[in-house]
This record gives sequence, C-alpha cells and structure tokens, in this order.
Amino acid sequence: MSLLGSLVRKVRRSRRVKLTLLLAPPLAFLAIWFYAPFIITGLYSLDMITRAREIVFTPSLKYYERILGWRSGLTIMLRSLYFGALTTAICLLISYPLAYYISFKVKKHKDVLIVLFIIPFWVSFLLRTYAFMTLLDERSFINNILLSLGLIQQPLQLLYTDVAVITVMVYDYMLFMVLPLYANLEKLDKSLLEASSTLGAGPVSTFFRVTLPLSMPGILAGSLLVFIPAVGEFVVPALVGGPNNFMIGNLIYQIFLGARHWWIGSALSILFIAMILVLAIIYLKKVGSVGPSF
Amino acid sequence: MYSVELDNIVKRFGNVAAVDNVSLKIRENEFFSLLGPSGCGKTTTLRIIAGLEEPDSGVVRLHGQDVTDVPTHKRNIGMVFQHLALFPHMNVFENVAFGLKMRKVPKNEIKDRVKAILEVVDLSGMEARRINQLSGGQQQRVALARALVTEPSVLLLDEPLGALDLKIRQHMMVELKNIQRRVGTTFIYVTHDQTEAMTMSDRIAIMKDGRLQQVGTPTEVYFKPMSAFVASFIGEAINLIRGRIQDGILTTQDLGQPILVNHGENSSEAYLAVRPEIISIDNELEGLDNILDGIVRDVIFKGSYIEYRVEVGPRVFVVHQHSRALMQRNFTVGERVKIGWRRNEGAIIPSSGV
Ligand SMILES: Nc1ncnc2c1ncn2[C@@H]1O[C@H](COP(=O)(O)OP(=O)(O)OP(=O)(O)O)[C@@H](O)[C@H]1O
Ligand SMILES: [Mg+2]
Repeated sequence: MSLLGSLVRKVRRSRRVKLTLLLAPPLAFLAIWFYAPFIITGLYSLDMITRAREIVFTPSLKYYERILGWRSGLTIMLRSLYFGALTTAICLLISYPLAYYISFKVKKHKDVLIVLFIIPFWVSFLLRTYAFMTLLDERSFINNILLSLGLIQQPLQLLYTDVAVITVMVYDYMLFMVLPLYANLEKLDKSLLEASSTLGAGPVSTFFRVTLPLSMPGILAGSLLVFIPAVGEFVVPALVGGPNNFMIGNLIYQIFLGARHWWIGSALSILFIAMILVLAIIYLKKVGSVGPSF
Repeated sequence: MYSVELDNIVKRFGNVAAVDNVSLKIRENEFFSLLGPSGCGKTTTLRIIAGLEEPDSGVVRLHGQDVTDVPTHKRNIGMVFQHLALFPHMNVFENVAFGLKMRKVPKNEIKDRVKAILEVVDLSGMEARRINQLSGGQQQRVALARALVTEPSVLLLDEPLGALDLKIRQHMMVELKNIQRRVGTTFIYVTHDQTEAMTMSDRIAIMKDGRLQQVGTPTEVYFKPMSAFVASFIGEAINLIRGRIQDGILTTQDLGQPILVNHGENSSEAYLAVRPEIISIDNELEGLDNILDGIVRDVIFKGSYIEYRVEVGPRVFVVHQHSRALMQRNFTVGERVKIGWRRNEGAIIPSSGV
C-alpha cells in the first residue's frame, strides 16, 4: 500500500515520467501500425526479406536500380508530382480569394459561411467522388445543356481524362486549403492594412506587400496539407481517370496487389516518400523564407 | 488656409452617434488635440480625417480641398495608430521606408531620408532590428518615424503614448512637441489624458458623446470653461457655484451673500467656475471683490501645493495654495478663515453650457 503510494507520488512529481506515460499509448500505436510496417517496407526494398519471409543481412539496391531504369514508372511518378502540384496550385488560386473574401469583406455570420462551406465535406470522400462522376458523365446535364444550346455537336469526353482527375482532386481537397488560409487571415491584424494605406499604398500594393507576405504561413500549411495527400491519391484516378491518368498510388497498388511484387512495390514507395520529403523541405525553405519570421 | 476642416461631420454606428455634427478648423502647423473620455468619438473623428471611416454626412477638407471621397492612400496624411500597427515582417528600415517606396522615391534618397528621420527620433543604428526586438518606447518612435518620413501635410496620432509607462511618456511628450516644431507639420493628437493635451497642444478640442464641447488654447479651456463638463473634466478640481445672475451679481441659496461676477448677460441659471488656485486664504483678507467666512475642514499636502477644503455654509470650497506659503503659516483643521477672489477671475458658464 505505502509502496504503491510512494510510487504514485513519484510519478506525480516527475515531469519526465508523466510525459512518458502520456506519450506511451500514441507512440505504441504508431510503432505498431506505422514505424514497424515502414521498416519492413524498407527491408523489402533493400531485398533483405526473402520469398520465404526470412530476413537476410545482405542489402542490395537492385530494385531501386530497376525502378530508375524503368521509363513508364518514372513517367507515372512525374505525372503524380505534376498532378499534385497542379491540384495544390488550383486549390490555392480558388481558396485564397474565398478565404480572403469571407475574412475581410463579410461582416456578419462569417462562421455560418465557413460551416456552409464545410458541410459538403461531411459526406464521405468516396460518395463525393461518385457524385462528381455523374456530373462529368457523357449523359450528364452539363453535356446536355451544351448540346441543347448547340455549343457542341458531340457530347464532351470529360470522364476518364486528366481534367477529370484534377477537377475532382481539387474539389476533394479544397477544404484543407481554405481552412488554414482562413484561420491565418482571420488572425491578421487589419490595422496593418490601414497603416499601409495611410502610407500611400493602394489596395494592390497593400495586398502584395502586406497581406500576402503575412499570409504565407497559411499558404504553406494549406499547400502541404493538399499536396501530400493529392500526390499519393489513388482513388480519384482509379474512378475518374483513364489508363493514361494513372498516378503513383495506382501503380504501387497494382504492383503490391496485382503483381504481388512486394520488393519493387516497397522500393517504389520508399523512393517516392523520399522525393516528397525533399520537395517539401525545398518548398518550406524557399517559400517559407519569403514569409514573416515572427 | 486651414490644414484640416471638418464641416458638420456625422457618423453613426447602429444607433450610436460616434461623431455628432462636428465642425472644426485646424490651422497649418498647429499642434491640435482631441481630448475626451473613453468612447466619446475621438478615434472615429481621426479615422474620418484619414479616410479610414466614411462619414454619414458632412465634408472633410485638407488644405481647402474637399477630400470626402478621396481614398486614404491619396490623402498624403501620416498616422500613428493606437496600437502602432508596425509591419511585423519588416525590419525597422523597411517599416520606415515603406511610405517612400510607395511614393517611388529613388533608392539612394530613401536611404538618406530614413537615416535622417531615425536620427530625429533617436534610433540611429537600429535599421536592421526586427520590430519584436524593440522596446515599447522604441517601437513608438519607429511608428512616428514611419509616419513622418514621407513629410505628410497632416500627422494624425491616436493615443500614441497610451502603452508607455509614465517616465517614457513624459519624455516622449517633450520629444513630440520638439519634433513637431522641427518638422513643421500639423499634428492632430487624440488622447484622453489631459496632461498630454495641455502639455503639447496649441489648441484643444474637448469632446463628449460625439459632440464638441469647446475648442480653445490650454489656458482658455482651463480658466474659461464654457460648460460644466469641460470645467470638471479639465484640471484637478474646480469650484462650481450655481445661481442666477443679474447685473454682475450672482445670487445663490447656498451662500448667504451675493457673489460679484463679471458683467455680462443676465441669466436665470448659470455657473460660476473658480479654479482652486485663484482663491486666496487667510485669517484676514482685504481688497478682493468676494470674501467669504469659512472653517477649514481638510488640509492635504500635495508637494508643490496644499489643498484646503473650506466649509462655507452648506458648501465646501477647494482652495490650493502654493507650498511656499507654508513657510509663513499654515491653517489647521477647525480654524476660522476667510477665502476670497476677484470678480474677473471667475468664469461664467453660460446657460447653454449648464
Ligand atoms: N466599428 C464600430 N462599430 C460599432 N461601434 C463603433 C465602432 N467604432 C466605434 N464605435 C462606437 O463609437 C463610439 C466612439 O468610439 P471611438 O472609438 O471613436 O471612441 P474614442 O473616443 O476613441 O474612445 P477611446 O478613448 O476609448 O479610444 C463608441 O461608443 C464606440 O463603441
Ligand atoms: Mg480611441
């Protein structure tokens, strides 16, 4: 009893023990479901796990070499980066004015507007994607209207194109751009903009010299939140893309579950993660240095 | 020509009239203060001059030109904000240079002018500092330099010393006045602190509930208040005697004797305002127009002066006497004394100001 009591007291006193206890469950969770599989993937990619599922300590880079010599694999990888970047850029271009407008121009019921914007995202990602497919379909009302107006003779092929993949990804991920931007702009001290105007800066100069630099943290956060999942997206290209709109996620999926070649699949995954990591760091360094450092 | 003119400016927020029919004429190179209690509409008035707020009605003129519909960035004004509003993503140099860049001043000239103005505000060598690496007083001076460097025709200051402690504030008050003399610009200074307004201003406008109460030099508003509000808002204390005035004589029920006042309009209801330091106190008084008998009820030593509270009938008069008088004699609580003043030393508040 007293032993337990003193132990409890000790735990209460020591901040480090408390912190460890607090962090143990999430760490254990991550260890089992993330770090371990990640390490196993790494081992596979280095050919350190045999077909008999035994670990051998003779790492080799041969699968990496194979991927680097594999043209269509690299094309898909580049295409994914391109799709991810494009999705991010379009999300930013649409979301910034939206967040700016709600934050700066709307006087009342801002939160209602934001909630209205969020509500569609309560619907599952898959359902939203399926719903969008009906809009892009050959017999969709978009095509029907265009046809009946005589603007087109043939129904437009919208589904199973690059445009479809990008459009749906923008739609699916826009929320992750709008929210950090809005949060950032809301925090921005509006008297700074007034100060700028008293110093002779018109609305355009004020935007580029004050508002935009001060919203860099929001832009950075939003861009990473969109880019990283968008680059690895595989549901959207699988549903609305054609064979030429394959993304890296689809490729990895196929190699693992179609070809069942865990070694190549692992090497591809690791390589791609490394690429994103490098790109993200470059981006943060380049764009982050433009923003305010406070 | 006037530097700033406001004609019948009205600005409402909902059903609050933040500025209620204000008209003002501010002269070139004047240090002009807007003084009043919190919420009386000082900031709103200033923002209307700056163009940051649009008046519901009325006209704003800068140097004779109607600018009511001219946007802020084209008004060539400078402004120091209540919370400074320095750009956190720029260093001191960039903050100060901002207005010059907007005016497309050549690079070399920008450098020289920023350097010169930083000398004026005593911040030389701080160019590369970030804003968050400066003390409150230094930030204050950066804000001032940023607003002054473009040589605006009017500088608007919204309680710029509010955030500073007393010592720096006193120092900055003297500095501000000096800077204003040196740069020769109209300063419009908003404050709720009468010491600030009194110390620096050429003229003061006193506001209450969105309305102008009185405009005048510090001594005018101090000795000749036009309303009971101004009389009690300005200065530390004042004796207000209410009564009816007939042919230079004020009669009041409180006091058993008539009080002689300046000849002027007759009025069935008016105030006589007498500052405490105007009133003499002694055991015997001669040669004053008004002499009253009283009993000392309180003696408070305040350093450079002594405050007596003297009971005269049902009234208590506040009397300030220079501390030097203590060397000769002082009065003790319960002592019978006489207090008195000359008829032309009191100010009559007209019935419109009652
Ligand atoms: N944007 C606004 N919306 C609604 N009411 C406002 C707004 N700005 C000011 N008011 C109201 O107008 C009145 C005057 O405000 P103002 O800011 O001009 O006062 P002030 O004299 O500067 O006060 P303080 O000394 O406290 O700064 C106040 O009653 C205030 O509540
Ligand atoms: Mg104010």
